[in-house]
Amino acid sequence: MVTVESVRPLAAVLVSAIAVVLIVASYRRPNVREGWSVLAAVSKFAIVASMLPGVLSGTVYEWSLADSLGVEFLAGVDFALRADPLGMLFATLASFLWIFTSFYAAGYMRGLDEHSQTRFFAAFAASLSTAVGIAFAANLVTIFVFYELLSLVTYPLVAHNEDHEARVAGRKYLTYTFFGGGVFLLAGTVMIYWLTSTVGTATTAFEAGGMELLAEAAVAEPGYAQAAFFLLIAGFGVKAAVMPLHSWLADAMVAPTPVSGLLHAVAVVKSGAFGVARVILEVYGPGLIHDLPLSVPGIGEVGLNVPVAIVAAFTLTAASIIAMRKDHLKRRLAFSTTAQLSYIVLGLSMLHPYAVVGALFHIPAHAFAKLTLFFCAGAIHVETHTDYVSEMAGIGKRMPLTMSAFAIGAAGMAGMPLIAGFVSKFYMLLGAGYVGGEYWLFAGTLLLSGVLNIAYLWPVVYTAFFESEDHHDAKPVLEFSRGGVFESYFAEDRVATDGGEAEDAAEATETETEDDYEYAVDEYPSDHTVPEETDTGGERVGTVDHHGDHEDHLTGGPPAGGWERRSPFAESTWLMIAPIAVIATGAVVLGIVPDTAVFLEVATTVVEGVFGVESFGELQGLSLSEALEVIAE
Amino acid sequence: MIELLATQYAYVLLFVLFGIGIYMVIANENLVKKLIGVSLFQSAIFLFFIAMAYVEGGSAPIVPADGPVASPLPQVIVLTAIVVGIAMTAVGLALVIRIYSEYGTLREDTLREVRADE
Amino acid sequence: MSSVGSLLDALGGFVDLLPVLLIVTPILMAAAPVALGLRFDRTGWTVAAITAVGLVSGALALAAEVYTRGAVIHNLGGYPRTYGIELVADEFSTAIIVLVATISAGVLAYTRRGGPRGNTFYSAYLLLTGGLLGISLTGDVFNLFVFLEISSLATYALIASGDGPESAVAALKYLILGTIGASIYLTGVAFLFMATGTLNMAELALAIPGAEAQVLVRAAFAFIFVGFALKVAQWPLHTWQPSAYQHAPDGVTPLVAALVSTASAYALGRVMYTVFGPDFLTSTPYLTEIVVTVGTVSILAGSTLAVIQRDVKRMLAFSSVSQFGLIVAAYGLVNETAFVGATIHLVGHGLMKAGLFAAVGLVSVSYGARTVDEYAGLATNRPVAAGATAALLIALVGVPPAVGFVGKWYIGLGAVRAEQWPVAVVIFLSTMLTLAYTARLLEKMYFTPASPLEAAHPSEPVAADGGDGAAPLDRGVPGAVSVGMVALVVVAAVGAIALGFAGGAFFELLDPFVSEVFN
Repeated sequence: MVTVESVRPLAAVLVSAIAVVLIVASYRRPNVREGWSVLAAVSKFAIVASMLPGVLSGTVYEWSLADSLGVEFLAGVDFALRADPLGMLFATLASFLWIFTSFYAAGYMRGLDEHSQTRFFAAFAASLSTAVGIAFAANLVTIFVFYELLSLVTYPLVAHNEDHEARVAGRKYLTYTFFGGGVFLLAGTVMIYWLTSTVGTATTAFEAGGMELLAEAAVAEPGYAQAAFFLLIAGFGVKAAVMPLHSWLADAMVAPTPVSGLLHAVAVVKSGAFGVARVILEVYGPGLIHDLPLSVPGIGEVGLNVPVAIVAAFTLTAASIIAMRKDHLKRRLAFSTTAQLSYIVLGLSMLHPYAVVGALFHIPAHAFAKLTLFFCAGAIHVETHTDYVSEMAGIGKRMPLTMSAFAIGAAGMAGMPLIAGFVSKFYMLLGAGYVGGEYWLFAGTLLLSGVLNIAYLWPVVYTAFFESEDHHDAKPVLEFSRGGVFESYFAEDRVATDGGEAEDAAEATETETEDDYEYAVDEYPSDHTVPEETDTGGERVGTVDHHGDHEDHLTGGPPAGGWERRSPFAESTWLMIAPIAVIATGAVVLGIVPDTAVFLEVATTVVEGVFGVESFGELQGLSLSEALEVIAE
Repeated sequence: MIELLATQYAYVLLFVLFGIGIYMVIANENLVKKLIGVSLFQSAIFLFFIAMAYVEGGSAPIVPADGPVASPLPQVIVLTAIVVGIAMTAVGLALVIRIYSEYGTLREDTLREVRADE
Repeated sequence: MSSVGSLLDALGGFVDLLPVLLIVTPILMAAAPVALGLRFDRTGWTVAAITAVGLVSGALALAAEVYTRGAVIHNLGGYPRTYGIELVADEFSTAIIVLVATISAGVLAYTRRGGPRGNTFYSAYLLLTGGLLGISLTGDVFNLFVFLEISSLATYALIASGDGPESAVAALKYLILGTIGASIYLTGVAFLFMATGTLNMAELALAIPGAEAQVLVRAAFAFIFVGFALKVAQWPLHTWQPSAYQHAPDGVTPLVAALVSTASAYALGRVMYTVFGPDFLTSTPYLTEIVVTVGTVSILAGSTLAVIQRDVKRMLAFSSVSQFGLIVAAYGLVNETAFVGATIHLVGHGLMKAGLFAAVGLVSVSYGARTVDEYAGLATNRPVAAGATAALLIALVGVPPAVGFVGKWYIGLGAVRAEQWPVAVVIFLSTMLTLAYTARLLEKMYFTPASPLEAAHPSEPVAADGGDGAAPLDRGVPGAVSVGMVALVVVAAVGAIALGFAGGAFFELLDPFVSEVFN
């Protein structure tokens, strides 16, 4: 491991910060403004990519405020940026995807003729700046600085719509993220600084495989070390949307789709998962986490990783189940994100090298697939103003390429072979298998959630391609109350008891017959998906989650004559189609040739560094305790 | 207790004065009386300073004398503090005059009502 | 550094006189506007401006000397410190001196156009500045009382110079409580004098550990602490402060909010650490617990009350209660890190509040908004003011890199080092509490469009001409804002962020003082 002083990590952070200034300055000329965005994205990726060969061959690029300018950030704490393998994984991903997102965002914002576009693009560029800062942060304080700034600059994006719903979502967003950052993370950082100061020179700098001083201090003060661990995990867990800290994510979907796509599926939430990776791999290290047992009454002593793994396993199952019941497409995707992020946390907390590789590779794998899905959702919104799955029957005709890409992304989420998600899940399963013992439970959750993924994403594809506007099946899980619908058989008696709305109720049954097609298609594709204004079958419809902009809901759905048929090249502007196609292709490439597509290589390099081996092959076939012994050596 | 009263009666008296001053400030609704309370309170502290500088049989520090002399420092301090106290009272009274001309009352409760009405 | 050193050599004995000049000049000059006003019109600003510039350069020269060579100590009139008056510019006090000099100069730039003006204002202003510098420099506990009263006197006058009758009521309330606070402090001084026979801080520090009557010393501490808690506006003794801040003229509030309570809080720290010393603080039963409790309760109460305020100035006033709570709590932790944190937060909070209150003044002139609701749409209509306010608010929350974070880092670290977990929890939670009221304003400024409904002043007769009172977007008088007013706000915002990188530098600069106190 060679450390080279270089200004490149700083340049990678600053390039989009400078773009912020330029974007604001050229607010009168939208083309120039978007030009800056793209230029910054491309140069950011170029700077990050220029470090990639070096990092893969074992060089670490470092820039520090104290060494370069002689300014000490806090007493005993340096403000330092450092391009190591783990950081590169996240930085490469975020900066690469930003290039396409910036085109897409231009297409999206113009397509909708949004207000405050300058603020939007400026905040977007600033978010990328801070995300790369998180990636390259060399110590806990630096990562905290960027983590807080990220919360701050993404707030304008969440509250972008400036209506009541957006403001409420923004408030919730600020509360959650600042609770995570300003309270938990800061407290954890201070604790680490204090713990290390009790045995030597206080430090918060990351070390592959865990901080040595912390390991020493943890022997003396195991209780405080455990508390600090959970504080840090909770701090990053908020952004990684680990339950019970997840609910901001679904609300943040009021933001424009490029934000939901790049930030709330890639940059922001991944910064949380990435932080968890830093804490597990480079603050505590797998060895310390495993050896610092937590005594649980009734069960005995378990490693610190076990509670985290359990929470993650619970999150990914529960979020998948919730996702099935969401009719708003972006919300469904948000819960899917919650679930998928917990894969990463789960993989990391299993500590086994294979599981860790799988988790790290899941960061890009999920990013590509989920970004595709969000881009598709955004394209649908721009072109047809449709947000609800139930209104998308037959939309495959209208947007063939978009929906095909959606199908690819959905398959990737579910972990179908040949798509990125499979590779990462495969490694995680391997890891769980090698650990053995009680960890079969986690392997089981992984498999179960694969099924659940199909259950909530396949209906979208099915609705789009295999249903038509006038022949739209009701989705039992989504639209009926739990445990089936009693009134399907006795509808008339039941509903009539509520008096005034008997007419509507009558409609509800009548539309089952074929005569009412025209009427049903007109506004509501199907009686079962009639939105909240028909409160007739109160309990029935009420169970469908109808958050989201109600006006949009009314304007959505197929036009009077059904969807028109369009060719894949005419369905939207190229600004939106091209990014979708590229990202979807990327997801496939990652799935077919993961070895040549850089990310897997970076992930294995990280694990090699953490476990202190020359090549990943040395770790092959080791059980968890054997692998942990490798670190100790 | 008795002994304390007998030997340290000055301090006890001064603390009673101190208490009266505070009580006036808190309990009296009249703004002028509140200011009087503040003055009383301050005077108690000044006297406290003087009392503690007292030396049995000592003479005033101004006059050159044989034998014990009372400590001059507290007296200097009190002179300064009196000046400061007077300035405070003057400013306070000026404010009271202004309040009276604006609201036509000196009572705090009335004042509260008047202001609440506005 | 060597160039600074040679420059200081050239100045020679002049630096030694600086502590005296810093106090005497403004106080003497305070008479000038009134005196000259008898003959000439409009001399006040010139006099004040020249003095302010002189004070800033003097403070900077003093800082250069103190931070390169160590403390500057001056015995007034050459009398020995046992009964003479000593002025001490050490690492701790110099930080406050620089703050006082620069902020008061900045406020002067603001009031040139923003008001209040007039010779009496300038007199009171100079008197206040002199008093505050005196509080920072004095090395004598009784002298401290005198300077406290001088600055308070000027503050009462300045607050009362507001337009409405409300300001007189607020000033009188402040006067009564402020005088009581100072008098209680004086009582404490009397006890100290009784126990030790000296009033000089350095002498007291030597005499207190050996004093026979420790009861007297403890009583002295109790009185002094309560006196300062009143002056610093700690809950539940804060009642004077919100109305004083709210009803003071817009140009005066930055001065009062940024400096007056700061100087008192500084004095509390000075007395606690220089006079009583860490050993006394830790060895006296329940002492630190009480101090810490007062501080933490103030953090909680201040923030909670701030959240429910409608008037922006009042909201920021309650915010001060909570921020000073942080400082008092840090004092109570009695360790080096927390003390450094308290000092940084004193300076940082002063800077941020000066900027924020100046911004409030700016907005009320140029946008006609005083309540949180009226701030709607500020970002689109007054982007510079909104941007600077937002930056300052965010800095106040403690988002890094800003000075608010630096203070919180050290105080939080101090609490953890002291293993005072409840305090640590409150300190870390204070981020959320601060966020609760700042986010409200941020949301109004940036994400709430200005609507006629929200904009109309309910108290003002809007539709006198039969109109519907709409079209408030061009309310306020944008032209009434001078460069100086905007500059103060923007410079404060930039400074708050720039100082966020000075965490290490602060620590180093304060180190000589801190290590001496905690040896």
